[in-house]
Amino acid sequence: MRAAWIAAGLLALAVPVLLPERHLAVYVLLALTATVTVGVSMLMGYAGQVSLGQASFYAIGAYAAGLLATHGLPPLLGLLAAPLVAAAAALLVGAPLLRLRGHHLAFATLAVQLILLGLLSRGEWAGGAIGLQGIPRFSAGGVQLRDDLGYAYLALAVLAVVMLVYRNVVVSRVGRALRAAATGEAAAAACGVPVGRYRLAVFALSAAFAGLAGGVYAFYLGYLSPGSFPVLLSIEFVVMAAVGGLGTVAGPLVGAGVITVLVQALTLLGTQPGMPGYAPAVLSYAVYGLVLVVAVLYLPRGIVPSVHSALRIPRGKS
Amino acid sequence: MTGLVGYLVTGLGIGAGFALVGSGLVVIYRVTRVVNFAQGALAVLAAMLTASLLSAGLPHGVAETLGVLAGAAAGLLVGVVAIGRPGTAPGASLIVTLGLGLLAYAVEILVWGDQPRSFPGLGGAVELAGARVQVHYLLIVAVTVPVFGCLALFFARTDLGKALSACASNPYAARVVGIDVRRMGLLSFALGGALGGLAGVLTTPVQQVTFDSDVALIVNGFAAAVLGGLTRPGVALAGGLLLGVAQTVVAGYGGGAYRLEVALVVLLAVMIAHAVRTPPAQEAAA
Repeated sequence: MRAAWIAAGLLALAVPVLLPERHLAVYVLLALTATVTVGVSMLMGYAGQVSLGQASFYAIGAYAAGLLATHGLPPLLGLLAAPLVAAAAALLVGAPLLRLRGHHLAFATLAVQLILLGLLSRGEWAGGAIGLQGIPRFSAGGVQLRDDLGYAYLALAVLAVVMLVYRNVVVSRVGRALRAAATGEAAAAACGVPVGRYRLAVFALSAAFAGLAGGVYAFYLGYLSPGSFPVLLSIEFVVMAAVGGLGTVAGPLVGAGVITVLVQALTLLGTQPGMPGYAPAVLSYAVYGLVLVVAVLYLPRGIVPSVHSALRIPRGKS
Repeated sequence: MTGLVGYLVTGLGIGAGFALVGSGLVVIYRVTRVVNFAQGALAVLAAMLTASLLSAGLPHGVAETLGVLAGAAAGLLVGVVAIGRPGTAPGASLIVTLGLGLLAYAVEILVWGDQPRSFPGLGGAVELAGARVQVHYLLIVAVTVPVFGCLALFFARTDLGKALSACASNPYAARVVGIDVRRMGLLSFALGGALGGLAGVLTTPVQQVTFDSDVALIVNGFAAAVLGGLTRPGVALAGGLLLGVAQTVVAGYGGGAYRLEVALVVLLAVMIAHAVRTPPAQEAAA
């Protein structure tokens, strides 16, 4: 198991150097998407809550970093502030919202994102619907990240930090308590688990992950607009988390990787000469929809747990 | 004052559309405990199909009816996928319907493109207490109110309606007395699809429809339905009309950009107020 992780880590380090420059953008976005998906997977797997608004925390982190940087503060400060601002927003929103369960919470998080998008597109301070422009490139200690290669490693570092935090939460006492709360809330509460507080903490932590990824996103693109964070993006995170396997450490990576590669391949197919202009959109909607339905119905635990049990239990015995 | 009457009638028309989407959610939720996220997509699908049929030369009435029937058929299809497999939990079914909503985007863009669509409704305007009101808004209200009346009669007076309600209150007992719970669930999806389709067909002449207008429809419909705890069609009607009027009045007095936010804030407030009053343990049992 450890060997597999080291191999995956080395592969992730080697790929940006080997990849042609024009494919690096996909790599950066994949790492950022995986970072957000880790949070969604934690939220869904350990707090048992579906969030259809995770992109709002991605947006909050991105706008926090972008606004601080455009107002002349050092980019490093912006990047550090991004997860903090996102977590603070999550605490503020989560305190009343996390009283809700199931489909109520799903709609509530969706509502929060729609409200946020409305505010951003009308807020002069955030650049309105046109967007926030002129975000400087990321720099720390006199070194400026100019090309995609630098951002690939920055995104990878962020992903590694988030995975490490996630893994430690999972194996900790808090992780066990959360798992207990997800299976039987009343029983866990009776055993002395402060369910409400832990659930809020997980919500804030998942928002911090999304905010951190958003900070990198802001510096990488140098331009933010409300249109970059549609509701569909939140749904994509849910699809990736569900496909990879909820509550596992490797699940979000596998889910984000599989879906991104699939969508990229189909986009390539959709932009072939002779294909109609709407083909890429149709194909990606179809992929997200089909994959989500098939995964929930036929692979309810996701890819990673299913592969695990298939490896451990020989065929025919189960 | 004359402005207010106009806003009121327009708001009732728009609110009736929300109420229809919401009632579709209610009918499905009552019977299956599933929140059908594809409900908005069904409305869009029915509206787009009706627009195509009308431009193909079919007369008014026939095209609209076919649109509503298509909504019912699509609703049935959603139901087959969402609850057709035995043992699918309502939470999982919610995510399945979300996936089907995305799939509907693909179908809609493929068939109708990504441009807004509309078709002419009942033309003309009338004077009401000094305010000019498009006749079509009156038509929406005039269709919606009897539909809700029939719905109430259906659930309270007919054997089929009672069977549907029985599945909602106790699936096990319903099965014991010989009710096919799964078939009733599918029937509720078809009925919900028809109501969603009706909403789409009725409101499209006054509000253009694009493939992604389902998000606004489902959020408004859910906000209308959640007032009655997702189980009472009558409350969904009242909620939808209230929401429609509130939005039009806000838009009319200068807050036009904040229309959807009105629904969203109402939605959040109602849900949180409801959750505060109900202890979590009781909610899990319900």
